[in-house]
Amino acid sequence: MSVPGDTKQRVAAKLTAIQIGVALLFGVLAVGFWYLQVVQHARFEELAENNHQRRLALRAPRGVLYDRNGRVLVENRESFSISIVREHSRDLERTIALLARVLGLEAAHVRELVDRHRREPAYQPIVVVDDASLAQVAAVTARRLDFELPDVVVERVPARRYPTESLAAHLFGYVGEATDVLAGLASGAIVGQSGVEKAYNRDLMGTDGAKLVVVNSVGREMRTLDEVPPVGGKRLQLTIDFDVQKAVEDAFKASGFNGAAVFLEPSSGEVLAFASVPGYDPNAFASGINRATWSALNGDQMKPLQNRAIQGRYSPGSTFKMAVALAALEEGVVTPEQTVHCSGGANFYGRVFKCWKKGGHGSVDLRHAIEDSCDVYFYTVGNMLGVDRINKWATLLGLGVRSGIDLPNEVQGLVPSTEWKREKLKEKWYAGETISVSIGQGQVSVTPISLAVYMATLANGGTRVTPHVVRAVDDGTGWRPLPAPAPQSVATLNPEKLQAIRDGLWMVVNGGGTGKRARIEGKDVAGKTGTAQVISNEGRLAARSTRDLHDHGWFSFFAPRDNPQIAGVVFLEHGYHSANAASVAHHALDTFFAKKDGRPLPPPPTREDLRLDLSDPMDRRVPAAAPVAGQQAGRVPPAVAVSARAD
Amino acid sequence: MFERRLYRHIDWAMVVALVALCLIGLAMIYSASGGPTRVYTTQIYGIVLGLVAFTLCLSVDYRSLADKSHWVYFGVVVLLAYVLLFGAVRGGSRRWIDLRLFNLQPSEFAKAALALMLAKHFGEGRQGPAARTDLLIGGAITLVPLLIIARQPDLGTAVTLVPVFFAVAYLAGMPLRIFGILAMVGVLLAPVAWKFALRDYQKERISTFLDPSQDAKGAGYQQIQARITVGSGGLWGKGFTKGTQGQLRFLPVAHNDFIFSVLAEEHGFAGVLVALGLYLFVIVRGIEAARLAKDRLGAYLVLGVLAAFTFQVVYNVTMSAGLAPVKGLTLPLMSYGGSSMIATMAGFGLILNVRMRRFTN
Repeated sequence: MSVPGDTKQRVAAKLTAIQIGVALLFGVLAVGFWYLQVVQHARFEELAENNHQRRLALRAPRGVLYDRNGRVLVENRESFSISIVREHSRDLERTIALLARVLGLEAAHVRELVDRHRREPAYQPIVVVDDASLAQVAAVTARRLDFELPDVVVERVPARRYPTESLAAHLFGYVGEATDVLAGLASGAIVGQSGVEKAYNRDLMGTDGAKLVVVNSVGREMRTLDEVPPVGGKRLQLTIDFDVQKAVEDAFKASGFNGAAVFLEPSSGEVLAFASVPGYDPNAFASGINRATWSALNGDQMKPLQNRAIQGRYSPGSTFKMAVALAALEEGVVTPEQTVHCSGGANFYGRVFKCWKKGGHGSVDLRHAIEDSCDVYFYTVGNMLGVDRINKWATLLGLGVRSGIDLPNEVQGLVPSTEWKREKLKEKWYAGETISVSIGQGQVSVTPISLAVYMATLANGGTRVTPHVVRAVDDGTGWRPLPAPAPQSVATLNPEKLQAIRDGLWMVVNGGGTGKRARIEGKDVAGKTGTAQVISNEGRLAARSTRDLHDHGWFSFFAPRDNPQIAGVVFLEHGYHSANAASVAHHALDTFFAKKDGRPLPPPPTREDLRLDLSDPMDRRVPAAAPVAGQQAGRVPPAVAVSARAD
Repeated sequence: MFERRLYRHIDWAMVVALVALCLIGLAMIYSASGGPTRVYTTQIYGIVLGLVAFTLCLSVDYRSLADKSHWVYFGVVVLLAYVLLFGAVRGGSRRWIDLRLFNLQPSEFAKAALALMLAKHFGEGRQGPAARTDLLIGGAITLVPLLIIARQPDLGTAVTLVPVFFAVAYLAGMPLRIFGILAMVGVLLAPVAWKFALRDYQKERISTFLDPSQDAKGAGYQQIQARITVGSGGLWGKGFTKGTQGQLRFLPVAHNDFIFSVLAEEHGFAGVLVALGLYLFVIVRGIEAARLAKDRLGAYLVLGVLAAFTFQVVYNVTMSAGLAPVKGLTLPLMSYGGSSMIATMAGFGLILNVRMRRFTN
């Protein structure tokens, strides 16, 4: 038993021990805070900043496209995109399920989208819906305010607005998410995928801006710390004339045919109208095309995604005859006045080649040979020339080569030569093959754009201009005209000889020729029709008519004859007769000249206005040439069925 | 009842320190809750009521209070039982009695009541080291409210009662080897408790504490954010109402359990040192009151009250820095909460009561 005093002392000692213990404990706490707040401060400061600061991309609007008269063609509209930012996710699965329900999407689809971007940094928004409807935006916003979707953001982004009714769709092209990771492009960046949008993507894209914002724990923006505004893309003025473009497409629509048309200014190569029918609605791509639409477009038998004007290769038919005529004149094989006798056919290398006109044309000179499209005349001069000299002049005029137009994925046509055949087919050229080439058949193929350049070269006297669709650019400091690209080649042509060809072309339209539908009073339209056979007559007889087997129709032209302001081509796929192509061209030319003269523009044509000829050409077609037995020297390959039409 | 002579012996330095802590807490609540909100005004009422409770507990001689300690204790146990059966449910537990104007949290008052009861129990026994039966009875006195509170469930507050018992028992002469034995038993029982006694969310909190990153968006979130909040404060802090973590609600319940984190963020290490210094001063000065106490009863009472207070301060401050598992333990004097404020101030009223009456008979 201890005495009270002793107890009192022991209590005091215990209390002192407790005081020291507490002081030590607080000392440890202070050291702990010192370690966190002073030693490790930098690390935690960065973590705190990452917590509440967000760098948001501000998408730059793409440059606006204007027509040559300053009319807006393609502009931007405001759209809303809905994205998931995984960095803010508390429960990603729940977000996906809830968001899918709110937006009316399949959860599996959303999950797949998120998975696709899994390897990207978590702060990068994953776009779930581009161009969301107002109902979707409202639904998501309401949930966000309830803190249910802290990891979902709704952003305003500019989206492309294209003209309605897919006007000039193939010219403008479309935009979409960048698929290959190009240097300096953020994932999800919108880039041009075809047409002008692709060719001029660098100019049109602009530079995205950024915004540094403070967000709270549910991701709501509280204030802006720093903002670098986006720099919009450069504005481009196209060479297109909206009214002519619309006239071409109106006429196509009235005709009901597919095809292509290119109208050029022959002096400069500026493209006044550029159409490929059927088109597609670029608006469907403007903010992420859905898979169903994409596969529908891809699987469509009409091939709406093919840009026929620069990617379609077709037999030029009689439109090729001017190349042969020019070659013959320039090479001195014939003079314009020399005549050839046509009795309805002629024998070359043991085979009879028929003229489209059964009774023959009698004696024809160059002008009338063009006007009447006399096959025998061109068989004859073509035979005198040989295929290589035809190739040389056709190339100088722009056929069989790329035009160099400032649009992506142009393909090349073909004008055969002995060298070509030796290299590609490892075979010798047979002189008999030249005969079919002389009337634009055989292996000859052209793209509509190259045929338009060819007409422009004939119109301007030998300068193979480079077609182009952009004439001026504005980077925000005012319009700056772009110099026209250098011509692909310049040939010095004898004006008098060229005039004979032009006269012949004038007579096609204004005389007794096949192009009279394109005639415009006082405008001296010069042109040439052409038919490209899709199937041999025998095949056609066997297959019996389906629409796909009808001939293609061409009408190539320039006007006025002596001072050409416009040149080009209209191509009707399975258009029955080339006269129908002349009808389509007529409406566009009429519009062009009406605008030039300040007359009221003609109203869009009806199907009746076009006076389409839908009779079956088979009834008038001559049977295929029959080989003459025993003569092998100029053997014609059986694949090349030769026939001719009233072109 | 309040003699002029006693008035001179009030520990004014202690009163100043207490009020300073209350005001720092109030300022932090103002900042964390975004201005003069309802939370802020409620806390002002809490402080005023706390001062009233403080004055009341100061006025009545602690010895006469101790005489009625069994009634106080009994009353609190009844209230706790009532809460367990009929209390208002919030966040999955019954801790409150809804009194319309405010919610009463009886468990807060259990600490002071227990201190009073234990002081009386050990203080009136015979002189010399406490006998084993005394310890067992003391343990039983502690376990009754502890178990009821743990059933609410409110493990944090329940555990707070343990240091009250040990502090008083230690002072009353409980042999140190009994601490050792109890510690051993505790260690051996821990796996059993883990398996049977702890609820899932409690297990989760503990396992998350050991590795916060395993659940960075769930239970570990608070802990990670607390550490970021404190660490980003730096030496001098981001400035009053300029903290990002608390202001933008990355830190949950900032005005309540994590008020000290807000202080650390906005006023930095400097602010932390000031607050810790004030708390240390209050505790050490309080222990001084035990030393000065005229009788064992007074010394036991002071240490019992301080034990709960100290435990709670140390635990909460550690948790605020993300260095302890998250538990619903408030920081006395600074955190938002009327019951806590009133009970804590009442406790300090008792401490000053003992000190003030050191010369009386």
